[in-house]
Amino acid sequence: MASAAAPGAAPSAERRCYFEDVVLGAPPLETPGLTLTPAHAALFNGLAGVSAGDEPGRVPDLLPLCLSSGLGWRVPQPALAVLAFMGFEWKFHGPLRIGDTIRSRSRTAAKRSMREGGVIFEDREILNQRGEVVQSGRLTLLVAKREAP
Amino acid sequence: MLSYAAVTTIRFDDIKVGEEFVSPGRTVSETDIVLFAGLSGDYNVLHTDAEHMKSSQFGERIAHGLLGLAISQGLAGRAVADLVELPFAGLSWKFRGPIKIGDTIHVVARVTDKREADQPGWGTVTIERRVLNQRGEVVQEGETRHMVERRVG
Repeated sequence: MASAAAPGAAPSAERRCYFEDVVLGAPPLETPGLTLTPAHAALFNGLAGVSAGDEPGRVPDLLPLCLSSGLGWRVPQPALAVLAFMGFEWKFHGPLRIGDTIRSRSRTAAKRSMREGGVIFEDREILNQRGEVVQSGRLTLLVAKREAP
Repeated sequence: MLSYAAVTTIRFDDIKVGEEFVSPGRTVSETDIVLFAGLSGDYNVLHTDAEHMKSSQFGERIAHGLLGLAISQGLAGRAVADLVELPFAGLSWKFRGPIKIGDTIHVVARVTDKREADQPGWGTVTIERRVLNQRGEVVQEGETRHMVERRVG
């Protein structure tokens, strides 16, 4: 019989993509799609406390970026071992409407090793169902290095 | 050509560079973080595993950076709705420090620039925003750029 895990033992670690695993020049990673529904907009507006406005079908401007962070976990590669989100630059190229289906496409633009972890610069695009880039920008992420053996 | 529906009533000529607005505060709760993880699908241990985070530099779960930004958008809207609810053209944002459960944040927003946009009939306005916690520490800051309709005639 297997012995029980020691009290306080850490749960098994999820697989993670560490700083050393990030390859420059790799093909862009594209996520599955996500159809924007009235529920997404209502949940976001309620949580953020923003006015829904009186324009039917409006998608909150900041919602697609928020959804892309979860979409990034749904690619055939372990999620980045992000220690901190440091900042980002973002541009809005065109409107999205409820009923549109977004997906996210990312590639690593640059990486910089630090004493504790490393900084990854990620270029990200949000595409609609017609493949048009509706939002895009560059994210700066502090990512963990593998623990020394 | 982009099309922006007129969602607010403020016009380009009404906007004054240098105007500053201070929002009410809002206490960020565990519920906010749980809801944001569910909505976004971002279940990073930073935001969802209290035991794991005990041994981290933060000592506890922290709010998603983008949750802080989303809440700050709502707060800024309560100070100056017409301005911050204009359609976004771009933003530059820095996450300076963690927002922990129970922290109370508010926003200081200031109009720093306005100019004609490339599209006829439109202008862009730049708003500098700082998100501060209950100790007055800046936890997030940046600037947002918005499209605004120019007064006709």
